[in-house]
Amino acid sequence: MADTKVVIPGDIIDTTTHMETGDEDSVVRLGPGLTQINDSVTSFSAGVLHDNAETHQHWVVSNKRRYVPSEGEPVVGVVMARHGEGYRVDIGSAHDALLSLLAFEGATKRNKPNLAIGTVVYGRVVVANPVMDPEIECYNSNTGKAEGYGELSSGFTFKCSLGLARRLMDAQAPVLSALGSEVPFEAAVGLNGRVWVHAETPAATILVANAIRNSEFLDARQTKQMVKELLERQ
Amino acid sequence: MQRPDRREANQIRSLHCALGQLSRTDGSAQFSSGRTSVLCGIYGPVDVKVYDEQLDRAHIEVKVRPDIGIPTTKDKWVESAVRSTFEKEILAQLHPRTLIQINLQVRENDGSADAIAINATTMGLIDAGVPLKCTVAAAACAVMGDGCVVVDPTKEEVEKAVSTHTFAFDNGSLDGPVYVDSRGRFSMSEYNACYDLCRLTCDRVLAFMRTALESKIQKETAISAV
Repeated sequence: MADTKVVIPGDIIDTTTHMETGDEDSVVRLGPGLTQINDSVTSFSAGVLHDNAETHQHWVVSNKRRYVPSEGEPVVGVVMARHGEGYRVDIGSAHDALLSLLAFEGATKRNKPNLAIGTVVYGRVVVANPVMDPEIECYNSNTGKAEGYGELSSGFTFKCSLGLARRLMDAQAPVLSALGSEVPFEAAVGLNGRVWVHAETPAATILVANAIRNSEFLDARQTKQMVKELLERQ
Repeated sequence: MQRPDRREANQIRSLHCALGQLSRTDGSAQFSSGRTSVLCGIYGPVDVKVYDEQLDRAHIEVKVRPDIGIPTTKDKWVESAVRSTFEKEILAQLHPRTLIQINLQVRENDGSADAIAINATTMGLIDAGVPLKCTVAAAACAVMGDGCVVVDPTKEEVEKAVSTHTFAFDNGSLDGPVYVDSRGRFSMSEYNACYDLCRLTCDRVLAFMRTALESKIQKETAISAV
């Protein structure tokens, strides 16, 4: 592909490409993977450089395996411990996330959810800050509704790369649409590289999990073929 | 003077780099030059022991395992070389109270293993997505008995050499190396010759690294674009 610009750490980024004359004073916004070192904008990770000409935003898209929490992202986590007012949830980041007992739909001081250790939960990161432990919640605190977040009972959880998780967030992801037309299943994708799937039978659940894992290095056409082969073998 | 493997004095052995071969690490790379090969596995940022915790930056831990036997003082030296080089390059302040662990396994040592270890670490850290100020490349050279300076020496040449030198440069700063290691007796002019040769070689290694990373990233984006 000719139009993708790959950068590696230490590359200096030209942020003036889309600037018209008289535009020099406008604010340049740097996203993931970019930082200012001395007077120049430098990339600190390897990936594809993207920019938005209108908002002067620049960012680098790269694939990783270790999750670093970021506000608003949906994550799949495992309850590790329970203490006074909440749970400690492993979301794959350096530090366990905190999940308040009241951060569930309809939870009150008297009526709190009771999650066992090892329970899988789907939540959203609300506090992500390098100097604090991350915090997640299992409802939308603005509306008070669960909106799909909460405990994930039964089913199967597996890990994948963060890049694949991002692609799965797209409802049109080739592997999900190819599977969805053949097997009924539920899935919860966490941007922390964990995916929870649940189908009617254990065999179908494993098939879905395998198909998603296999799709990591396949394009749309190959994915369709792979799903077809898996279904035939069943 | 002819080199044992009939290379030119300024010719490096064929480079090879494979990224992400280890499935359980956060990032990994195998970097080889000829028969010398180092495998690097990165974990990070992960939870850190209270003892090592630093409130303003990530703690960086390096472990080197030799190809044969248990780690010796020489491996500890490579550990400290890699740590001191990358402590300056990793943007550790972005991940305070965490640990970035660099594990190096020498798969085969046919000379210049310390330079290859630095190259493997660079590629491993990039594969893991650890924030790096610059891409670092290292090269080794040796001054032979007749005053000849040869780059990327094999084990046989290192044993015969009067002095050996390892330099690492990054792609950001045009001034000065980020790591220097010189052993043996040498004159200033010999040192300068080694410096120039390694600088040139590091540029080549950097170009190789860029190609390796570009091909990997382009392969990934070609999939996601469809």
